[in-house]
Amino acid sequence: MKHSQLLRRCALALALCGITGAGLQAKTPDDQLVIGFSMNNLLTLDPASATGNDVVEIAANLYDFLIELDPQNTSKMLPGLAESWKISPDGRSITLSVRKGVKFQSGQALTAEDAAWSLQRVLKLNLALASPWKAYGFTAGNVDKAIRALDAQTLVIDLPEPTDPKMVLYTLATSVSAVVLDRKKVMENDKNGDMGAAWLTTHAAGSGPFALADWRAKDVLLMNRFDGYWRGPAKLKRVIMRHMTESQSLRLMVDRGDLDVASGMSAPDVEAMKKNADVVVKPVRRGTLYYVAVSMKNPTFADKRVRLAIRNLIDYEGINTSVMPNYGILHQRPVQMGLPASLPNPGYKFDLPAAKKLLADAGFPNGFKTTIRVLADPPFINIATSLQSTLAKAGIEASVISGTGNQVYGAMRERNFDIIVGRGGGGAEPHPHSSLRALVYNPDNRDEAKLTNFQGWRTSFFSPELNQLIEKAEVERDEQKQTATYQEAQKLYDSQVGAIQPISQMVDTVVMRKDVSNYQGHPAATTRLREVFKQR
Amino acid sequence: MSDPSPTLTLPTPRSSPRWSRLAPVGRRLFSVLLTLLGLLLLTFVIGRVMPLDPVLSIVGPDADRSTYEQVFKQLGLDKPLPVQFAYYLGDLLRGDLGNALLTGHKVTEDIARVFPATMEMATMAIIFGTCLGIPLGVYAATRRGTVADHVVRVISLFGYSTPVFWFGMMGLLVFYAWLGWAGGAGRVDLAFDGMVPPASGFLLFDSAMAGEWDVFRSAIKHVTLPACILGLHSMAYISRMTRSFMLAQLSQEYVLTARVKGLSERGVVWHHAFRNILVQLLTIVALAYGSLLEGAVLIETVFAWPGFGQYLTSSLLLGDMNAVMGCVLVVGVIFITLNLLSDALYQVFDPRTRR
Repeated sequence: MKHSQLLRRCALALALCGITGAGLQAKTPDDQLVIGFSMNNLLTLDPASATGNDVVEIAANLYDFLIELDPQNTSKMLPGLAESWKISPDGRSITLSVRKGVKFQSGQALTAEDAAWSLQRVLKLNLALASPWKAYGFTAGNVDKAIRALDAQTLVIDLPEPTDPKMVLYTLATSVSAVVLDRKKVMENDKNGDMGAAWLTTHAAGSGPFALADWRAKDVLLMNRFDGYWRGPAKLKRVIMRHMTESQSLRLMVDRGDLDVASGMSAPDVEAMKKNADVVVKPVRRGTLYYVAVSMKNPTFADKRVRLAIRNLIDYEGINTSVMPNYGILHQRPVQMGLPASLPNPGYKFDLPAAKKLLADAGFPNGFKTTIRVLADPPFINIATSLQSTLAKAGIEASVISGTGNQVYGAMRERNFDIIVGRGGGGAEPHPHSSLRALVYNPDNRDEAKLTNFQGWRTSFFSPELNQLIEKAEVERDEQKQTATYQEAQKLYDSQVGAIQPISQMVDTVVMRKDVSNYQGHPAATTRLREVFKQR
Repeated sequence: MSDPSPTLTLPTPRSSPRWSRLAPVGRRLFSVLLTLLGLLLLTFVIGRVMPLDPVLSIVGPDADRSTYEQVFKQLGLDKPLPVQFAYYLGDLLRGDLGNALLTGHKVTEDIARVFPATMEMATMAIIFGTCLGIPLGVYAATRRGTVADHVVRVISLFGYSTPVFWFGMMGLLVFYAWLGWAGGAGRVDLAFDGMVPPASGFLLFDSAMAGEWDVFRSAIKHVTLPACILGLHSMAYISRMTRSFMLAQLSQEYVLTARVKGLSERGVVWHHAFRNILVQLLTIVALAYGSLLEGAVLIETVFAWPGFGQYLTSSLLLGDMNAVMGCVLVVGVIFITLNLLSDALYQVFDPRTRR
């Protein structure tokens, strides 16, 4: 091709690019917030069955909770739809005073009857989010009596079993199951007695600052401002949530200004974003813990010396400095940090000689063969790889079996695993019981009991003394005594060498454009966008 | 991408009575139905063998036993496998592919929503791949053994063997982040999302019909890059096949005769040789198009494109068998239709297959 011809064609190509708006700097609209994250776990919007953190953030903006937790200090409860609440002297009943004059997005008035009906619905449907309520003793049979509206403004919750009422209040403030639904609107969409479950999967009926405009699964979720919101209209006109799974794409879009907020970005991309002056990186601490768990159904791990050896074979420091930045911070206790009952880390370290001695005493001087099940995603897979290499130093030959959450936790629920690198432990409620119930408590260790919601049961770790301590602390009304009992439980867990060894407390890193103001990432994922605006 | 070869129908004797002339059609229809049934059965069995638990996807890892068992029953998983399959086929005959766990919608509605997005991108990709691939293939064949031929072959090899995912990331980096020529993730700039009601699902068409030219321009800007990257793969395949078809033709005696007669090289290549490979090329392009429709998974992930590939992958990871089987059925129907279409094209354009 002649040079002149080549030049002509290049010029034509450039001109064509110009037509499509080449080189323009992208910018999101001033009054709209564009958020990018993976919606892979977002399967339903029904508050009775929606699990995972993503839906909590969405529900916190479409609906109102009776109580809210201060994002700066999660043990501080703030009024939501409930103006005030009172716990009976015996701790068995909570009375909430529901705010007057609140309207649903449909225009209906919101009453205590709606709040009672919403909670009753969760138990009656018995779907995924009924679990925390069932743990407090509520059932489909007793809920109508236990949770009831005395009048339009008074909601009473009687606790069927003795528990810490504060724990119930925390659940009211953090669980999607506790949002108040527009009963009339939902029941208009009842199908074959499903209490609107099919309809609520893809619709919403709330009183929150934003109304659901459109949700296309694995694509986009649009929320428009609800002008009749009782606190006054939100500052943003619209919130757009975009399903994005690729960290690199998220990074490029934040960089270019096409996205205002991104979460779920990989650690190297977050690190790169920190160098961008137009971007702010905010770590949000969650209550969930990364851990290494062993199955005590396996006779090898039933031996306390072997568990202790494994505890000595984890490179806590290495993992937390090289793998966990932007994912988590060093933590070695089953109770999350930051609570009055939290204890400082016991200072476990990688100690090869101690581990080798323990293994030799347990009859494994040359180690043994085992498997590590793990999610194929970072940081899980990186933790597992680190663990594999440190175990190998003591002769433990561990093959890594990676899979999806379904495969890894499915095997755990079946009690069919050796070692798992995972994440869990409740932790949404800022209460020691939330973590201990999820990770340690196991009231019945028989296979037939199938207490699959307790990770203690899944690992076959069974300690009647520890169970008793947890139960005792749960009903203790004196706060100081309760704190002391929870601390005692943690020390006992330490000495008994539990099957789950926490290594890091979860951090969720949110990357956002500098012009986004008032965005307050919530540790319980109830991030509210009603005060967010753009300073341009 | 596989290298599917066209299948040929059996010739029909001209003198046979009408009913016997219909027999091959019946046979073909029967084999199509059998293929689809086999495909569904195979997918169903694989789905059940896979260590994926749809119940766990719905209830989450922390649900208790009674919730788990309730959902297990609701999904009909407590029934024996043959019964589950029979129910599925029964519903299928009524045009019902069941509900998807992923979205809570009917699988048919979901497919109708995601398919046009993929089709729009794949159509642009195949236009790009064909318009570039065929001339490149012909050019390489006519200059066999020269530097130009080697260059085309290297381009083709590069396009065929480089992961489309890598191309996607590089494309985004250069054309979106650095130059700002292309749109980012999604089908349209987010500010325009939801502005055009999805009448046909083809955003370019819908926005043009609605007179929303800003949306139309934004959609063009978004689809061009992923379509070109996807088309690069087809271009590589089409140019490779075109080159080999052309080489086969150029070594035929009629080409030599035409040259001896003094016909120009351009005439020999385009009027004689090319005309003879046209039908084969149509088949190749049709099948490449089919592969694009179901194989755009990676590019859809990189570009957050809400299409069929992404839907199928998510469904697979969830163990959402209703959605997976629905998608497999659609892919099966596409390939069978394309096969039938290519057979028909042979019959129309190549008289030898009609004898």
